Amino acid sequence: MLNLQRMLRDRRSAGSIGDLVITVEHDPVFTIGRRGSRSNLLVTREALEQEGLRIFEIERGGDITYHGPGQLVVYPVIDLRDYGRDLHGYVERLEEAAIQTLATFGIGGRRMPGFPGVWVDRRKIASVGVHVRRWITLHGLALNVNVDPRYFAMIRPCGLSVEATSISGIVGEPVGLDAVAERFLTQAEFVFGWRLVPVDRDEMERGCDDGEA
Amino acid sequence: MESATGTICLPDLGDVGEVVVVEWLKELGDSVTEGEDLVEVETEKTAFVVSAPTNGRLRAIAARPGERLRVGEVLGEIE
Repeated sequence: MLNLQRMLRDRRSAGSIGDLVITVEHDPVFTIGRRGSRSNLLVTREALEQEGLRIFEIERGGDITYHGPGQLVVYPVIDLRDYGRDLHGYVERLEEAAIQTLATFGIGGRRMPGFPGVWVDRRKIASVGVHVRRWITLHGLALNVNVDPRYFAMIRPCGLSVEATSISGIVGEPVGLDAVAERFLTQAEFVFGWRLVPVDRDEMERGCDDGEA
Repeated sequence: MESATGTICLPDLGDVGEVVVVEWLKELGDSVTEGEDLVEVETEKTAFVVSAPTNGRLRAIAARPGERLRVGEVLGEIE
């Protein structure tokens, strides 16, 4: 997925493709940003290996986070020169799309000054990690729909002592990821002024030699 | 100050306040081409790679990893 993103980012930079958005549900994985600290991983490497979990260091803002089943991950690959070269404006719009999506479930999400992401009361429901190179965006936002809370207990997300929560945890019953994805993309269309058209994944991957990262 | 075109300034990123230098991707004396990745910085919410404004050699580094600066301030020089 990382290779696919980078390949798309390079093609976007070269102008051979237009803006696009990828939505993904990952296998369980921990990722840590460049300035993140391994001390925010609260279990040993051995424990990780036993569970078959991997940790990747990647180029994005933010500290350590978990991605896995039940979490909607959204990766826009867009040229911020068409969006006023406004880095934080981009992050805020991503957060806004998440907040509006939560509102459609009757959930009040909000930002926390000084930190990217979306919170419900004092629990974190969406994390944001964005990397911009030649004004093209990489990585994006992850929204917890039905995430196994066990995994979040293994990290101090973004270096904070913060509990995580999911949409289904708050609503009190399982919620389908696809339904949330659809709502999120609708909200993103409003917030960004997009009109999204589905694209075939195989078409996108043509040119990416080694598939999954 | 010499050639203004060789000055590496933190470009306008919008309302980001202070950014912190994370890592230089080139070393002093390296030749660089216009648009090449030069130095990674981090704002409160994102990571951003500053590109070389011209071709040349990286002559000076004014802001080191961990240091903070604002939009428009000088990161280094290319000659």
